[in-house]
Amino acid sequence: MKKKITNGINVFLFLLPALVLFLVILIIPIGLSTYYSFQDWNGIGEMKFIGIENYKTVFSDKIGLGPAIKNSIILAALSTFIQLPISLGLALLLGKGIKGERVFLSVFFMPVLISTVVIGQLWLKIYYPEQGMLSILLSGIKFGSTSIEDLIVNWINNMNAKLPIPKPPYTSVPWLGNTYTALACCFIPVLWQYVGYHMLLLYAGVKSVPPELREAAKIDGASDGQINRYIVIPSIKSIIKICVIFAVTGSLKSFDLIYVLVAKPKVADVPSTVMYTQMFKANNYGTGSAIAVMLIVLCFAFALIIGAIFRKED
Amino acid sequence: MKMKKFASVLLAGAMVATMAGCTTTTDPDQPTTPGTTVTDPANPSTPAADGEVNLTMWCIATESDSNRHSYEAAIADVTAAHPEINFTWEAFENESYKTKIKAAVAADEMPDIFFTWSCAFLGDFVDAGRVYCLDDAYAKVKDELPESMMGNSTYNGKHYGVPLTMNIVGLFANMDLLKEVGYDEIPGTYDEFIACCDALKAANIIPFGCAGKETWCVTEYLESVIEKSVGYETLNDIFLARATWANPDVASAVDTFQSLVVNGYFDPAGDALTNDEVKANFMAGKYAFYMNGTWNCADFAANDEFFAKVKVGEFPVINADKATLGQLIGGPSDTLAVAQSSPNAAVAADFTFELGRLICKYGYLDGCGLPAWNVNYDDSAVNGLTQTVASICAQAKGYVLFGDTAMAAGDAQTYLEEVAMVYGCEVDGQTFVDDLASAIR
Repeated sequence: MKKKITNGINVFLFLLPALVLFLVILIIPIGLSTYYSFQDWNGIGEMKFIGIENYKTVFSDKIGLGPAIKNSIILAALSTFIQLPISLGLALLLGKGIKGERVFLSVFFMPVLISTVVIGQLWLKIYYPEQGMLSILLSGIKFGSTSIEDLIVNWINNMNAKLPIPKPPYTSVPWLGNTYTALACCFIPVLWQYVGYHMLLLYAGVKSVPPELREAAKIDGASDGQINRYIVIPSIKSIIKICVIFAVTGSLKSFDLIYVLVAKPKVADVPSTVMYTQMFKANNYGTGSAIAVMLIVLCFAFALIIGAIFRKED
Repeated sequence: MKMKKFASVLLAGAMVATMAGCTTTTDPDQPTTPGTTVTDPANPSTPAADGEVNLTMWCIATESDSNRHSYEAAIADVTAAHPEINFTWEAFENESYKTKIKAAVAADEMPDIFFTWSCAFLGDFVDAGRVYCLDDAYAKVKDELPESMMGNSTYNGKHYGVPLTMNIVGLFANMDLLKEVGYDEIPGTYDEFIACCDALKAANIIPFGCAGKETWCVTEYLESVIEKSVGYETLNDIFLARATWANPDVASAVDTFQSLVVNGYFDPAGDALTNDEVKANFMAGKYAFYMNGTWNCADFAANDEFFAKVKVGEFPVINADKATLGQLIGGPSDTLAVAQSSPNAAVAADFTFELGRLICKYGYLDGCGLPAWNVNYDDSAVNGLTQTVASICAQAKGYVLFGDTAMAAGDAQTYLEEVAMVYGCEVDGQTFVDDLASAIR
């Protein structure tokens, strides 16, 4: 009995630092955000309790949270259905043990190590209208006399012509300055940056599949594709689930790259940029906190839904 | 077993201690250099030994800021004159500074002296009781700093800010491009101005450069058009919440601005550009006109090749019944203030006035703005553009402070979003005023 109590104390002591960290870094800020979300507060002066007024504002179309959530869901879908398959493909390819495996791993993982702000600055140059790398590249690829850039410009001009007051036509694509292309332009660097991150997680899973299973399947005459489909992928389902959760919640929380690339509100807003605008530009800390609470709830909800979907699959 | 228990307690204790160590502040004895923070942020100003006083300052004069030199020169002078003050300062990028200073004010962890924008921005801090009243210190320098320049940082009759330089929105023109279409001067009337824009467009020259990515740049155009249509008093009343936005003349003026957009006078690629990029394009000869703050005079004057081509003027009057030349957008906004929490607030207040006077002097001589303080030194070396701006201001009939500075933060954000929609042709003038009238008041 005494030994059990002593062990219990030891376990508690070892868990204490993590518990303190968890409380200080996660629980207390969430608690405070929830408290602020019921206050009318400009971040500096006196707070005033206003009940659920901030949540009413959040759910109204006043601050544009609806389109921001829609953008986040688009990003999450793109991450799940484009980024993760690419990561999985790379992980399966490298997991086979190809020549230069380590070099490719490092190269694909390298963007994860670069600061997002630096990546944003790099891509700003790529997306620069007219003289940017993307515009030059797409102007050079032509179908007859029309370049891809021209096709995109014409499409945007046609959309702008439907505005209440028709905008003068663009002559080149302002990639990050219009609602039609800005979000897609934000996704490409995200894909480029995090494909290596998911690839590394999946690669570790692929490598953990016992080689005897592969060999046995090969002896039975299975092709590489069949081995991947029927042995490797089912074996790493738990890691795929984690990757999907990271991709979806990461998209819901995305902020830095969009902030650096687009900067202007209402062009490619996501919930975090709306929260930033409310808190730090409009001094509405209460509304910003309500968005923060909503984001937490959304992230938890999506994590639970994804978990449930995978459990059902099992 | 005891040993095991002891080891586990020791390890856990060490881990907790390590965590606590993460929150300890930097050694206050560490040597200081500009751009680094070494003092305890919770108590930035602490009495130093031998009667010395430590003062800290935050500002936005980063290495790339045109005001950097004036800050460095002023600080060198003022610290040489006050060896008893250990002065450290730190500069931050403009946009991130707005967030940083608000967070510092909220936590009451401000430096002794801090840069701020006047009117509503500083007003929020004053309302929260975080700013030291400068009335006593101002009384000592009243002869050098006119009361009119203190207006934007005066709340309930008390002074809370030290103005530095003042700036207005200027209409900069690339005269080489204007000459190509037959204009030797910036057009003086609105009709001539539009004719000039049409001629430029016909010659495949883009009339205006504007950074659509930074909405404050759009307001430099829009506010000038509104002011020259409805008069400065009306616009001032609206910005200062003394009148409603629901004004048909303002709606009509917004439509006038939008007609400039719809007629294709603005660079469409500007939608995706920052102000720095647009400014660089203007200096490279891509646009004929660039409306922006007169703080740009310093950068234009520093480029010999471009300086020979550029002129600055005033946006022409659109409705002569309500507006006249001399009605300008701008005024003293850049301000230094003292934290109420500073243990040396009285010393900091005197120091701030002295520093502000010198920043103003060097800033004016560099061409970064016009002096908010009286000029009692030789200013004959000031660049020609700044001198032109000075002569425009000498004829000024009235000023309207930049809208996003004059209005409270929440209102300013709503205003900027509506301006972006006008520029993006999503709403017209009537919708603009209706939206603002319902959202702001």
